[in-house]
Amino acid sequence: MERAEQGPRAAHAVSQTDVDEVDLTPVRTYWQLVRQRFLQHQLAVIALIVLIVLVAAAIIIPWVSGTAGTRTDLKLINKPPSLTAPLGYDELGINTFARLMGALQTSLLVAFSAVIIIVSLGTVIGAIAGYAGGWLDNALMRFVDIILSLPSFFLIVMLVAFFQTGNMWVVVFAIGLTGWTTAARLVRAEFLSLRTSDYVQAAQALGASDRRIVVRHILPGALAPLVVAATLGIADSVVVEATLSFLGFGIMPPAASLGNMLTKAQDYVFRSPIMIWYPGLVLIAVVLAASFLGDGLRDALDPRQRIEAK
Amino acid sequence: MTSLTPTLSASSNGTLLEVKNLRTHFRTRDGVVKAVDGVSFSIPDGKTLGVVGESGCGKSITALSIMRLIERPGRIVEGEISLSGKNLVTATDEEIRDIRGNAISMIFQEPMTSLNPVFTCGDQIAETVALHAHVSDKEAMERAIEMLDAVGIPDARRRASEYPHQLSGGMRQRVMIAMALSTNPSLLIADEPTTALDVTIQAQILELMKALRDRNKMAIMLITHDLGVVAEMADEIVVMYAGKVVEKSDAITVYERPHHPYSKGLLASIPRLGEHRKRLEVISGVVPNPLNLPEGCLFKRRCPYAMPICDTAPPLQQVAPNQLSRCWLTPDGSAPAVGPDASGDIALDAAAKLSVES
Amino acid sequence: MAAYILRRVLQAIPIVIGVAVVAFFIVRLAPGSPVDKFRGGRVSPAVIENIIKLYQLDQPLPNQLWSWITTFPQVWRPDAWGYSFTDGKPVLYDLGNKIPPTLLLMGTSLVLTAIISIPLGILGAVKQYSRSDKVITILATIGYAMPTFWLGFMLRTVFGANLKWFPLFGAQTLGQSGLNVPDLLWHLVLPVTTLTIVAVAGWSRYMRSSMLEVLRQDYVRTARAKGLSNNRVVYRHALRNALIPIVTLFGLSIPALLSGAAVTESVYSWPGLGYLAVDAVRTRDYPIVLAFVMIGAIMVILGNLIADILYAFVDPRIKY
Repeated sequence: MERAEQGPRAAHAVSQTDVDEVDLTPVRTYWQLVRQRFLQHQLAVIALIVLIVLVAAAIIIPWVSGTAGTRTDLKLINKPPSLTAPLGYDELGINTFARLMGALQTSLLVAFSAVIIIVSLGTVIGAIAGYAGGWLDNALMRFVDIILSLPSFFLIVMLVAFFQTGNMWVVVFAIGLTGWTTAARLVRAEFLSLRTSDYVQAAQALGASDRRIVVRHILPGALAPLVVAATLGIADSVVVEATLSFLGFGIMPPAASLGNMLTKAQDYVFRSPIMIWYPGLVLIAVVLAASFLGDGLRDALDPRQRIEAK
Repeated sequence: MTSLTPTLSASSNGTLLEVKNLRTHFRTRDGVVKAVDGVSFSIPDGKTLGVVGESGCGKSITALSIMRLIERPGRIVEGEISLSGKNLVTATDEEIRDIRGNAISMIFQEPMTSLNPVFTCGDQIAETVALHAHVSDKEAMERAIEMLDAVGIPDARRRASEYPHQLSGGMRQRVMIAMALSTNPSLLIADEPTTALDVTIQAQILELMKALRDRNKMAIMLITHDLGVVAEMADEIVVMYAGKVVEKSDAITVYERPHHPYSKGLLASIPRLGEHRKRLEVISGVVPNPLNLPEGCLFKRRCPYAMPICDTAPPLQQVAPNQLSRCWLTPDGSAPAVGPDASGDIALDAAAKLSVES
Repeated sequence: MAAYILRRVLQAIPIVIGVAVVAFFIVRLAPGSPVDKFRGGRVSPAVIENIIKLYQLDQPLPNQLWSWITTFPQVWRPDAWGYSFTDGKPVLYDLGNKIPPTLLLMGTSLVLTAIISIPLGILGAVKQYSRSDKVITILATIGYAMPTFWLGFMLRTVFGANLKWFPLFGAQTLGQSGLNVPDLLWHLVLPVTTLTIVAVAGWSRYMRSSMLEVLRQDYVRTARAKGLSNNRVVYRHALRNALIPIVTLFGLSIPALLSGAAVTESVYSWPGLGYLAVDAVRTRDYPIVLAFVMIGAIMVILGNLIADILYAFVDPRIKY
């Protein structure tokens, strides 16, 4: 009854001259709805802007300031803020602002790289498990169960400590190698629910190849939960990097990271308490922005969410 | 709108529920959705009113408005709902809670999800009884078991201690009915009570409702999109479209001589016994977007009889004794009837179209 | 029910063995030999030989693995998990000392988290979009965004160092012996607060969305249509259902709680498992590291097991 079936009798019902006879309400596509829902989420929009500003600053400022973030100068120790050093100089005579931006760059690089590993490893393993099924799926999922049972943060600490403490890329791989399980489960779940779905079966019946089905039909469905997981993964990775530094396993000075700046500032907390706030607030800004963005994306990408309340 | 005031129920004596000019609107981001827009009807004691229309026509919102169960962003913006003379729109929350589940009970479309999964069926019925009848928990449970028995659930005592997931859909709807009737309400609102059920179970549930109605002498407001269901049970019928009442009459009249083209369409879309038709008719087009309603008659875009006068909203007017219709067609359904824009030309024009049509 | 529990326990056994294998490989595959750190120091080659013998480091890897897999379940033998490289005591003895303080810390925090976050979540859901909901949401997100160590450090600096309300480190005042409960609790305040703030942030958000989901359900409308008061609808009909997924959270939160505890213990030098383990990583005390991975995994598996059993109790739809 709800199908729009234009019978012959309907022809004279709509006279061409009457513009208001035609329903002008725009039909929204999925992505238009996603955009609308996302824009509705004010915090997520702000978070996205903050994140873009932070990423831009982390790329541009260290590039412009060159070595200012690591160069020590005895004459400049604890100098107050100036135009070229908006946050002054620290007890080693390093330009704090330049160092902070360098640290942000390192931390974001660690986080983004780790998330790339998490997502690609998770997608590949989840896709293999979900598509193959059978014993392979079983074996992979038991392996995931085992990894999930291990205390993952401690695993990261172990990997970093045993392989090479202080190396940024070891940190990246440690986070990546322990963090892929959630992504794998998401992708696998999408495969399982879609493999039996009507439209994938229809595509199969039409003779589409396996590769085409996976790439064109299944992965786009898994995209939404993956994007959300990746965004939240950025937040987690930044915190993990900082915590590693605190425990003494993180990226080592003179290279700067938010974690080692924060940790070092703790030693001077009574002499210059302000120093703990700079890296701390930048770190919180990154984590808050990423998690609000993740929440907003989750709400926006979920088709079950409706714009107008019933 | 200058319309003739619908006065269908002959006497106001014995009127149980009277809904006057009810408007329930939803404020959304994209504008105000007038889900119920000036609906009036009444239900006499012990009678059954069928409310018919497609999904989204406002029939469920009307029912929820009567129960005062409209949630944000919806609101009853105008109108009066009186139950035995008491206005429910202005009643306090406490007063309305005393009426819900007591004087007016409601059953819903989805028996699978309408019962709380963590309480036993008996508990859920007994809770209603204890609340409104002020009896002990034990007596309430006895009453619950009695009710389960009355709605035809075998081995009621054992079933009372089972959880909803242990029962089939039909059984769960029986439990819902038992719960609704446990307090002997004077009005039962049934919102598509059989839609989610198998055809054979549908018939059983309808039979059950009929039997209980006759035994308890209660009134029923039966909401459905299925004219067949209504014809079986209702004394009077209200047909709704896009938040408005488009036709109102006794059940036989609507069934035999529907006036509004929408009612005709609804009727044509159900199969009837003893009739040989090659195919069932469908009403062309879709329900208009509630945020972008057409000017004039709301049905004109889908109406096979649409004519220029339909750009002016027709009033709900008497077309036959005991029959009201919101349409410009004459009572015999051939040409435009009365109205400010009615003129010889329009009538001729419409008549010409109709003759081409037939 | 007993059969169900037994079945779940039996299902957990292969996972524990799998964990033992994976943990073994992670520890053994670290570059260099575990005894490298002893070489070139004051430790005599004879002692190093002894260590190699003791840990069968001269044996091929599969033999070592087999020996580990077959000995670790024999927890009644004090040497089943080997000896610590640093203090030479049996690993199981060290664990026995360090597990109670950690369980005290985690348990107290878990109970407080539930007590605080469940009402906060309900409030946020029932008054969705109200001012109090927004305040709770924002505070929860900030709590979630704050790294545990930083929060711990700030609390320690403000309430320990500046205000001197609470001790800076340890589980008892120096020079004390024996169990002094008030002293222990006094030392417990800041670590528990740190761990709880982080956990409440996550739990209250979860509780809020669980409650919101339930409040949308048809049976909540049915409850209202019965004429029940709003409180009865929320606290009887909705809450029971909203708490069901929270039970899962109990199991899921154990890993985060463990790593949170490790960090918190490091901040406050709380003499627990996490502090011991981080120290062991630093000194490459492999037997202790391996033991911590095992204990951590067993805690996670037990947490999930308890959650599953609780689930079967609170949700009548679960068949067991």
